[in-house]
Amino acid sequence: MKLHSTVIALLLICGVSVPAWARIAVGEPAPDFSLTDSNGKTQTLSQYKGKIVVLEWNNPECPFVGKHYGGGNMQKQQADATTAGVVWLTINSGAAGKQGHLDAGGANAYIAKVGAKQTAYVFDPAGTAGHLYGARTTPHIYIIDAQGVLRYMGGIDSIPSTDKDDLAKATQYVPQVLAELKAGKAVSVTTSQPYGCGVKYGS
Amino acid sequence: MTPHPIVSGAAAGATLLAAASAAAGPVQTDHVGLELVSETTALAPGRSATLGLRFVHEPHWHTYWINPGDSGLAAKLSWQLPAGFKAGEILWPAPQRFDVDGLFNFGYSGDVLLPVQLEVPSNAKRGSAVQLAVEARWLVCREECIPGKAMLTLDLPIAAEAVTDPRWHAGFAAARAAQPQRAAWTGAAHERGDRIEVALSGSDLPSDPALDAFVVQRQVVGYAPPQINRGASTLTVSFAKSEYFTSVPAALDLLLVAGVPPNIRAWSTTAPLVTDKAQP
Repeated sequence: MKLHSTVIALLLICGVSVPAWARIAVGEPAPDFSLTDSNGKTQTLSQYKGKIVVLEWNNPECPFVGKHYGGGNMQKQQADATTAGVVWLTINSGAAGKQGHLDAGGANAYIAKVGAKQTAYVFDPAGTAGHLYGARTTPHIYIIDAQGVLRYMGGIDSIPSTDKDDLAKATQYVPQVLAELKAGKAVSVTTSQPYGCGVKYGS
Repeated sequence: MTPHPIVSGAAAGATLLAAASAAAGPVQTDHVGLELVSETTALAPGRSATLGLRFVHEPHWHTYWINPGDSGLAAKLSWQLPAGFKAGEILWPAPQRFDVDGLFNFGYSGDVLLPVQLEVPSNAKRGSAVQLAVEARWLVCREECIPGKAMLTLDLPIAAEAVTDPRWHAGFAAARAAQPQRAAWTGAAHERGDRIEVALSGSDLPSDPALDAFVVQRQVVGYAPPQINRGASTLTVSFAKSEYFTSVPAALDLLLVAGVPPNIRAWSTTAPLVTDKAQP
């Protein structure tokens, strides 16, 4: 299968060093990954075939992430999505020693502290999934439909800022895309400029 | 961008006045100091003056250009001015490129002035003083990022003649040197597969061996360094298309940049989109 060979090729070429950027596109199959979550379980994209999946890149110490958790925006979107049967994976691609890198205990404490409602908090310290998806910022959002096709990639909302006052004024893309997918409509905004802190990949 | 007009100043000599009138000094925040400064020690009625938002970054920290690149956020200013005074947009100096573990950011480090043009009303009263105030919001990053916000003020007298303030002479000179000069080239942007190519021609294209290029608009080109190819009197700048590309704007605003501050030179040009008829 095409996607698997892409993953294997990346692993072969890159070995233990930082993987190269892949190029993905809306309307094409989203690449699979296999990562460990904060409860020690393996999380793959392929295990959720048949469900809509939201990927959210996270760094708890990034002020842009803080805007969306501090204002309760992220937790509400997570709760609304997962209640409706959507899978929400929060991914931390921070390398060991970098700001925002968490271990399992740290992640579970963070989830409890902010009241996060994602399906799982998963670790990508080698940056493999991050580079496979081209995740640049925290937050950075990808939405994959039940057939495994990428339907949205980009910013969490339409106003790049660290200011909580902008939350209500911005178009929140995740609920908009999820509502359109549920209704069987075409997604009206399929990409937007991601904004935030840079993902803290290893060098 | 044309080089902004400068209030011509006589030789320095009004330092006394400047020292007396400068109310607010620098504001030191996390990893960056900020200050609102004026190129001249006074403002002349009916004239235009150049103000500067001075950022003094700690080593390894940077703030952002109008297009910040893969991550980050440009500074925003909100002015509170006396009646009749008008401040323009930031006259963005040419940016530097920062490679942060494979992500590319565009912005500024070290000691930098972001110039802003101030229009002084003709009825401003000589001998009076005005307070200029600006709320600045910015993001400063090394790898980690810290948002900042400060109210900066500057008191200046209104006088018949505006005299250069020697304290900021070098800073404004550097800011002016870093202003992109409008080039008289002809250019066209083409969408070619997964790349955006800008073809420039002209007799005075820069011959600097190490050139970089930046596009003002977002969601058009990727932020990795472009490929630059030279011909006899042509230059082709080829960018990977942005993954967030939706459509090519009617025209691309392109900067070519050579060198680093204080020895930086930059040119700006606007390249209209040309649709190629025969696409393979």
